[in-house]
Amino acid sequence: MTTKELVKKVFFIEILQGLALTLKHLFTPAVTRQYPTEKREPFPGSRGLHALVRDAETGREKCVGCGLCAAMCPSQCIHIYTSEGENHKKIVDRYEIDVLRCVFCAFCVEACPYGAVVLTGHYEYSDYNRDAFYYTKERLLENWDKYMSGEKGKEYFEKFWRPKSEDFGFPTVSRTGDIKNP
Amino acid sequence: MITITVNGKEIQIDKPMTVLEAAKKAGIKIPTLCHHELLESYGGCRLCVVEVERMPKLQNACTLLAADGMVIRTESEVISKVRSEMLELLLINHPLDCAYCDKAGECELQDLVNKYGPTVGRYKEEKRKVPESHTDPIFARHMGRCVVCTRCVRMCDTVQGASAISMIERGGRTRMEPFSSTSFNCEYCGNCLTVCPVGAILSRLYIHSYRPWQVDKEIKTICPYCGVGCSLFVQVRDNSIKRVIPKIGQGLNNGLLCSRGRFGYEFIESQERLKSPLVKEKGKFKQSTWNEAFHFVAGRLMEIRELHGGKAIAGIASPRCTNEDNYVFQKFMRMACRTNNIDSISRIGFAAAQKYIEDLLGQGVTSNIIDGLKNSDAILVIGGDPTAVNPILGLAIRAAARNGANVIVVGNAKGLVPIIRDKTLRIIHPVFREADVLELLLTNIFKTQDVRAEKPAIDKRIKELSEKPVKMDIKEMEKLVKILLGSNSISIVAGMELVQRVDGHRSLFAIAALTYLLEARLFLLSEKPNEQGLIDMGCLPDMLPGGRPINVGDFKHKFEAAWKESIPQDKGITLMEMIGAIRNKDIKALYIMGENPVFNLPNGHYIREALESLDFLVVQDIFLTETAELADVVLPALGWAEKDGTYTNLERRVQLLKRAIDSSSGIEDWKIISEISSIMGYEMDYSSAEKIMEEIAKVSPLYRDLTYKEIGAGDCLWPYHGEPLRGELNEVPVAVDITQDYKADFYLAIEKPLFHSGTLSRRASALRKICPEPTLKISPQHAGKLKLKEGDRVNISTAQGTISVPVSIDASITDNRVLLSNNFENKGVFNLLNFSLDKVTKAPGIEGCEVKIERK
Repeated sequence: MTTKELVKKVFFIEILQGLALTLKHLFTPAVTRQYPTEKREPFPGSRGLHALVRDAETGREKCVGCGLCAAMCPSQCIHIYTSEGENHKKIVDRYEIDVLRCVFCAFCVEACPYGAVVLTGHYEYSDYNRDAFYYTKERLLENWDKYMSGEKGKEYFEKFWRPKSEDFGFPTVSRTGDIKNP
Repeated sequence: MITITVNGKEIQIDKPMTVLEAAKKAGIKIPTLCHHELLESYGGCRLCVVEVERMPKLQNACTLLAADGMVIRTESEVISKVRSEMLELLLINHPLDCAYCDKAGECELQDLVNKYGPTVGRYKEEKRKVPESHTDPIFARHMGRCVVCTRCVRMCDTVQGASAISMIERGGRTRMEPFSSTSFNCEYCGNCLTVCPVGAILSRLYIHSYRPWQVDKEIKTICPYCGVGCSLFVQVRDNSIKRVIPKIGQGLNNGLLCSRGRFGYEFIESQERLKSPLVKEKGKFKQSTWNEAFHFVAGRLMEIRELHGGKAIAGIASPRCTNEDNYVFQKFMRMACRTNNIDSISRIGFAAAQKYIEDLLGQGVTSNIIDGLKNSDAILVIGGDPTAVNPILGLAIRAAARNGANVIVVGNAKGLVPIIRDKTLRIIHPVFREADVLELLLTNIFKTQDVRAEKPAIDKRIKELSEKPVKMDIKEMEKLVKILLGSNSISIVAGMELVQRVDGHRSLFAIAALTYLLEARLFLLSEKPNEQGLIDMGCLPDMLPGGRPINVGDFKHKFEAAWKESIPQDKGITLMEMIGAIRNKDIKALYIMGENPVFNLPNGHYIREALESLDFLVVQDIFLTETAELADVVLPALGWAEKDGTYTNLERRVQLLKRAIDSSSGIEDWKIISEISSIMGYEMDYSSAEKIMEEIAKVSPLYRDLTYKEIGAGDCLWPYHGEPLRGELNEVPVAVDITQDYKADFYLAIEKPLFHSGTLSRRASALRKICPEPTLKISPQHAGKLKLKEGDRVNISTAQGTISVPVSIDASITDNRVLLSNNFENKGVFNLLNFSLDKVTKAPGIEGCEVKIERK
């Protein structure tokens, strides 16, 4: 045993060091939160509850029912039913997500050519009933209005969810069905 | 032998073929867009370019014939670049609306662009604008998407032979349009849909309703409409049929379908389907439980069996039901009801004809391969229009004509008129005198050719006929005889109009004798999907399963040993005789499975009266038909896509019918019958249709050792593992000659249209959109005489009644017959027709029905 080790042992140096660290933390702010009274703002781009984007022009869903999100979904929790609507245009009758099966990989968001389906930052949607997690088209549109409308949605699109159609020079399609080349 | 090298792989070919075909044979895929397996090479898209050594430029694989020693590369940097640029050019005008387009996912252009195409297009021009067309009831055209591969036009011209569409305009504006402009005026086969590589032609039946990858299952099954038995692929989503498609290389139709097969599936999900068993109480139907209904039916049948004996009970089987259903049905009638009175609606056509001809020439003589028609040198068509009754068989005749065959048409087979090479090959004869034409032809051939001396009875009869020849003047006869004698491979296609004559057996004999003299192949047109199977299953009053005659002891004992019960001694009576016996009160109870005699037999009022006088009538069907309304008990059965089983087509190919969707309302026909049979004391305990086939395979010599596994693998052609039976007749059965001259102004006759076939098709909304109501077909000359225009409404009346229908002028009609179909409720031609029995075949002769036409 060297002199240094001996001194350490006699004067409890290591214990004092530990106590000093504890003492320091007594005066620093706490890292735990008192959820649910104290809530945390999610980081931008975090993947929470799903929403269908409402087109500001028409007031209806942006989704055209191409079904790519459902095709891409690894847990197969998206169900889309379309039909022929007015003027022989394709309309989305049902767009349903079984959220309990979702793994929040956001492949659907990536696959969507028109940026019509998104994952909002909202993460608090626990319920007592399984049915409450089966989101219909109307409820998904409501989610958009509640959590993503206005500037927030725009920002999300610019930063995280830029639809692929912009990369590939996809034509933009308006609700009336006119196709505009980029 | 030619040897070529493709991508370093040596390929040996023994007949001339293109590089594309040779590569395909060796499993090397060369991308194509305008090329299609069913069509001839076109060389328009330049995507199949390949490098050939010692050739300075890239070559089209689809048009380049393989030559010995060629060294070919199908993939290289240069080739990829060329393909990419070809695709880029196509994308100048092709919209990138894949997200909307129903074709996305099975679009050939999409797949090619994905593999070879550019990621960004360099051409910034505005895309051409072609308005969509939704005016047609079936086809939606998005001609902006057309890539001008001309597959649809080539399909329509060369394979379908309808020539209804064409390319119009030039350059970048080229696109397909029907000659009839906005909506189509065609055969609605939908084969243009099959070949369109992009989403330019779409079916409105399922437009925008699903994407190709969203189907839960795809089931291979058989078409429910006619006796050809095309293979269909039924695509199902959420227990509902989304669409029906054919596939290349699958089934005898090889990628082709007709309008009924492709668009006629909607009846299965009709709201009019029966939901639960109905029992009539005081003249009104009341819903009942299955158990009650079973016990009620069994109780009443037992009562009648005890009181009046088995002979007072009769059964009508169905050519729409499977072999298994029909087998169980005849077993039930024979074993539980103790009667041989079993027949079917096929008696008025196919069954009568087949029985007569097989008696003469031996079993299996009518079972010939449809595909073989294409190789015929001469084809004689008589007694019906194959392109309407059996459209896919009709296509084989058209293909033969393109290959150079002489197609001889007797009568007015409308769909074949355009392909007849010259006028002399179309024989126009006095109304209802087909038998005379055939006998004349027979005796003329007999003059130049000796008898074959294989069948003395037939030889004797031919000699008899030639001693007192028919008096009829047909100029073309000499030429016809020359053509027929000069041909190596002759086919005779006989429609069932022949049978529906008072002297129908004369025509049938002539047909059989011609087949025998000329060593021809014989095809009988079959209107229902399982007419052949019904006969093979023994749903005949005088035959047991496998075509075994009931009065031969040995055969009978074998069946009795298998069924553990004796078979009733006497032969039963045929369909039309049953109706007579019902009217005479000899038959008290009738059990009908899947048939609608009130509508589908001539003189509907007469049939209705007969059925109303019955003590007990059971009808098992999927709809509340005209006949079911008269029944005491109606039992809902399962439809075509809801059950397993087998159909036997007119070439005696046994094919599997598979369940695609589940029904909540009905039960399989065989299950209903076996339940009732068990209650009546004859135990039947089948767990599945397959188990029934196992029994059939044991007892029937025709279907011996057949298993579902083998049938499912395809090509189960009878007599597969079976034995051909040959019977000899000593005397050809003939009745006294009745030759009548028909001199009235107009005669009413039956039309067999392409778009409808009766009970099923009238509930298929797509077919109703194509052809919404029946029309009276009249020749242009007679329409002129009556000053009738297309669409004028007329009242047509016969001794049986009056119907009001619009007129349609049909140039293919050459005599004073007016034609009406038998498909629409209250407007069936059978309601207006009377009949008298052919004494030999026992089929109703429907001829000489005078009709009055008055403008409404």
